[in-house]
Amino acid sequence: MIPLHVEQVAYTYPNGVVALQNISFSIAPGESIALIGQNGAGKTTLARQLNGLLQPTQGRVLIGDLDTRQHTVAKLAAQVGYVFQHPEHQIFKRTVRDELAFGPRNLGYPADRATALVTQALRLTELTEFAEDHPHDLLPALRKRVTLASVLAMDTPILVLDEPTTGQDARGIQVIGAIIDNLRAAGRTVITISHDIDFCADHCHRLIVLGGGRVLLDGPAEEVFGRPEVLEQTAVELPQLARLTARLGLPLAWQPEALLDALEARQHQQGQQ
Amino acid sequence: MISLYQPRDSPIHRLHPLTKLTLSFGLIAVALGAPVDWAPLLLYVAVLVPLSYVAQVPGPFLSTSWRLLLPFAISLFLIQSFFFPEGTQILARLGPLTVKAEGVRFAFASTVRILLITGALLLTLLTTHPGLLMTGLVQKGFPPPLAYVVVTTLQIVPQMRERARTIIDAQRARGLETQGSLLVRMRALGPLVGPLVLGALLDVEERTLALEARAFSATSAKTSLYDLRDPAAERIARWAVVLGIAGLIAWRLLEALQ
Ligand SMILES: Nc1ncnc2c1ncn2[C@@H]1O[C@H](COP(=O)(O)OP(=O)(O)O)[C@@H](O)[C@H]1O
Ligand SMILES: [Mg+2]
Repeated sequence: MIPLHVEQVAYTYPNGVVALQNISFSIAPGESIALIGQNGAGKTTLARQLNGLLQPTQGRVLIGDLDTRQHTVAKLAAQVGYVFQHPEHQIFKRTVRDELAFGPRNLGYPADRATALVTQALRLTELTEFAEDHPHDLLPALRKRVTLASVLAMDTPILVLDEPTTGQDARGIQVIGAIIDNLRAAGRTVITISHDIDFCADHCHRLIVLGGGRVLLDGPAEEVFGRPEVLEQTAVELPQLARLTARLGLPLAWQPEALLDALEARQHQQGQQ
Repeated sequence: MISLYQPRDSPIHRLHPLTKLTLSFGLIAVALGAPVDWAPLLLYVAVLVPLSYVAQVPGPFLSTSWRLLLPFAISLFLIQSFFFPEGTQILARLGPLTVKAEGVRFAFASTVRILLITGALLLTLLTTHPGLLMTGLVQKGFPPPLAYVVVTTLQIVPQMRERARTIIDAQRARGLETQGSLLVRMRALGPLVGPLVLGALLDVEERTLALEARAFSATSAKTSLYDLRDPAAERIARWAVVLGIAGLIAWRLLEALQ
């Protein structure tokens, strides 16, 4: 398991758009991070720096001790798995199982390890029953899970997920959330880009808030959700329950149990008065 | 939608879209009908390149044109010069492989044809707003569904380029090595071309559905956002080109029949 360092990174697209400015943070193994911010804030651009698809125009990105400027994306792929936002473009094998084996084979894993990883990824994404189907015969939501599974099968210490929950039904969101929790419990690093702030609150312990290509906030959920005025700048709303606690004048909470605790504490207080 | 269109104020931009399309096809017909292999190259250099300067788009024209050509040219030369079946005149030997003169000639002829065809259509697309192209065709009595398919198919090229970039990124992120020796790159072709072709097929399907959803099969006259100027001179020029193409084809056919 390896750490990830982003050091004073700036990035300007070839057409002159300044997408990132002076970004620095480190991520330790076992962290589950959410990247949030409004459209155009620079989330995808930043995520693409993390596996070398884009290289910083200033500063550097270190994956363990690999500088992304000195290695090919294919080489870095053994360390960082990246699930694309519109992944249907990458599918090309005739069966789901073969599609999943593509990554491990590229990375040169021995056949038995690759097979085991594919089987495990199928199970985690609840795709086992579709293993022999043609990926393009699946519903879009399942097809998207195929690409998540195809990256899981690469068994990388770090994973980047770009908008994994869009287009998923409630069950799909649950499955993806559970995968993130399991990866984290296994000491992997997961970085999730998502518009679904409730999903981030549930599955990520640290939030990095981007706005205008800069880091506006970086900290644990309770700290970030305590700064609604900054979140507003980049069009991020608090989770529904957090907004409810604010309206009720209760201490900040965004999980049902925490909200119930706060309510009970208040009732208790009122009973004593 | 991604489009090649480059807004400028030039005489070429002001031509009726149908005129530009007709002239393109006329030029292509002349090039393909000419008796010498290098005719398309000559027409490209002597006609299309100067026109791209008149249209104030020489940069995008030249760079896109060559980028479109290069993959074709390389594979044609590789395959044809080594494997041209009827070749007898051997130019060079590379181990077990032989480069045959007939193969090289065939590859050259095909490459310059592709250069001219893509060049002519490219210049039309660079100088014509996609909406105007569509409107122009419909106003001239093209059935709307046909006009739609013509226009969107012409636009597939830039879309494919965008998509190719996405696919390359996605496969590299799954550990596919795409840089390095020729062998490495050839191995990368399958995972790149597969999704590209599939995506294009899905697009065509979507386009057909979009047609139906937009009530394109309805028969009433469609109102149009743009009102296009079409001077008599252009109409006459178009008919002349059409007659010219017909004449050329007839002449080549007659020649072949003798
Ligand atoms: N390929 C590109 N070329 C030029 N500019 C781009 C490109 N991709 C994104 N941008 C610009 O960079 C900024 C950040 O975009 P992006 O990282 O996609 O934001 P997000 O993922 O947060 O929506 C935006 O202003 C966007 O328009
Ligand atoms: Mg994005």
